[in-house]
Amino acid sequence: MYGGGNVFEATKFDDVQTEDPAKLEEFEARIARGEKIEPTDWMPELYRKQLIRMIEQHAHSEIIGALPEGTWITRAPGFRRKMAQMAKVQDEVGHAQLLYSAAETLGKSREQMLTDLISGKSKYSNVFNYPAFTWADSNIISWLIDAGAIVNQMANAKGSYGPYSRALERICAEEAFHLKYGHDAVVHMATGTPKQREMIQAALNRWWPPIMTFFGPSDKMSTHTETLMRWKVKMASNDECRQQFLDMYVPKIWELGLTVPDPNLKKNMETGQWEFTEPDWDEFKRVINGDGPCNAERLAVRRTAEERGAWVRRALLNPKAKYVKPLA
Amino acid sequence: MSLKSLDPRVTRLNLPEGEVPAMEPKPELDQFETYEAFHQKKEGAAYTYVGPVHAPNEDVAFLFAKEQYSRRFACTGLWIVRTENVQVTPYGNDNENLYDSLQFEVPTQSSDIPEPYEIFHLKKRGKAHTHAGRVMATSYEEALQEAKQAFGEKGPIVNVWVVRSKDVLQSAEEDKDMWTTIPEKKYREAIAYKVMDKITKYKEENKPTTAQ
Repeated sequence: MYGGGNVFEATKFDDVQTEDPAKLEEFEARIARGEKIEPTDWMPELYRKQLIRMIEQHAHSEIIGALPEGTWITRAPGFRRKMAQMAKVQDEVGHAQLLYSAAETLGKSREQMLTDLISGKSKYSNVFNYPAFTWADSNIISWLIDAGAIVNQMANAKGSYGPYSRALERICAEEAFHLKYGHDAVVHMATGTPKQREMIQAALNRWWPPIMTFFGPSDKMSTHTETLMRWKVKMASNDECRQQFLDMYVPKIWELGLTVPDPNLKKNMETGQWEFTEPDWDEFKRVINGDGPCNAERLAVRRTAEERGAWVRRALLNPKAKYVKPLA
Repeated sequence: MSLKSLDPRVTRLNLPEGEVPAMEPKPELDQFETYEAFHQKKEGAAYTYVGPVHAPNEDVAFLFAKEQYSRRFACTGLWIVRTENVQVTPYGNDNENLYDSLQFEVPTQSSDIPEPYEIFHLKKRGKAHTHAGRVMATSYEEALQEAKQAFGEKGPIVNVWVVRSKDVLQSAEEDKDMWTTIPEKKYREAIAYKVMDKITKYKEENKPTTAQ
């Protein structure tokens, strides 16, 4: 599960002009040949910083994204669904581990990343600042948020950084089950009793606005964006991802007789592009900056887990331990 | 006031609500050291790198790696090495054989009698290191030279990892039972969800009635 890694490009980066031109040329030639970059290779600061930021936000999104679904494990209807929901949540937490390690190979420690998550310095996908009111909300997350995540992750897996690609390949393989599981759960509700249909439609209505912001606002094409695309850090624009998502999933929603709560949503047959009501980006910004329905709860739960487990980690720590960055 | 959640279990945690003092930054090594994990997909296959884990010691690293890397897919064996104990060569270019350009250095430390070393090759950037084989040597440097002779012919090879065999924690033959439950957990496979059947049935039953 993932989202919004490309959304927050506010940081000022070092100018590429200050990099060693010979090394930069070699680096760019390698990427142009389709070769991956590995951790010990020379890389521009902009490349390193942007990747740390993306991968770290991705990792945080996995670990925080496990909370709204995890909350439904005990209340999932039936044993099989409990088992499946538990397996999915376990996968998401596992994905966070893979991603933190990939970010670590670039030089930021896991301790620092977790500290930055809890202090609010690093972000995670904004959709997880919204609550999962009912079992149907959890189903919509499993299906459509994961679907969005897969669009994003499939694109990023083709990126140029070796450790991130390796992690994403494994993640995408595991996500195949999530998507089917989520779809099955939604179909079950949508083809069930009138009450079940009503529940799943209500959940879709609640989640549609956050889903439309999932890929972030339209990219401002700056020199940085062009550079990051040439370096295969950013693989697709936010709008391209959103369009691809709508193409793949709106028909699947409609075939169940569900409605999408946006009267302006339609595909323009001439341009081939989906048209829709512009999401409320002011709300998006407000929520990302802390003022959403669940921001405080998500971070408080995470922080409590960190703080209450600290004594266990201290007790286990080998006094001769020495930190070495993971290899790949 | 404590934080009220839709989830009663979260409410029962009695988390403080409103402004709270910032958390102390996590101390160094709060997340332990790192270990590298290799798995064997099926009987007889070469061990392949799957990724790192953080753990306080080798045994816990094994348990974490088992959960992290062999939870979902078939596995018959797992190797664990402390990251520090892996000697890494420089990375070469794709489609070249790194051994051709490798400068063999003079060993800084060597043992009196030869001991076994495990050699892992990366065939292409972005892929995973796989076990090429075992050589006998008195140092990492000698092991690398031996590896070039033993398996260095078949390129391309872009990177080599060298590990002393005694630094590898290997799952034992009788441990294999721990992976035998995996086929039972069909609910974790995409194939277990027959969504199309339900959708087709729904569409059949809800065909729009055409006007006469």
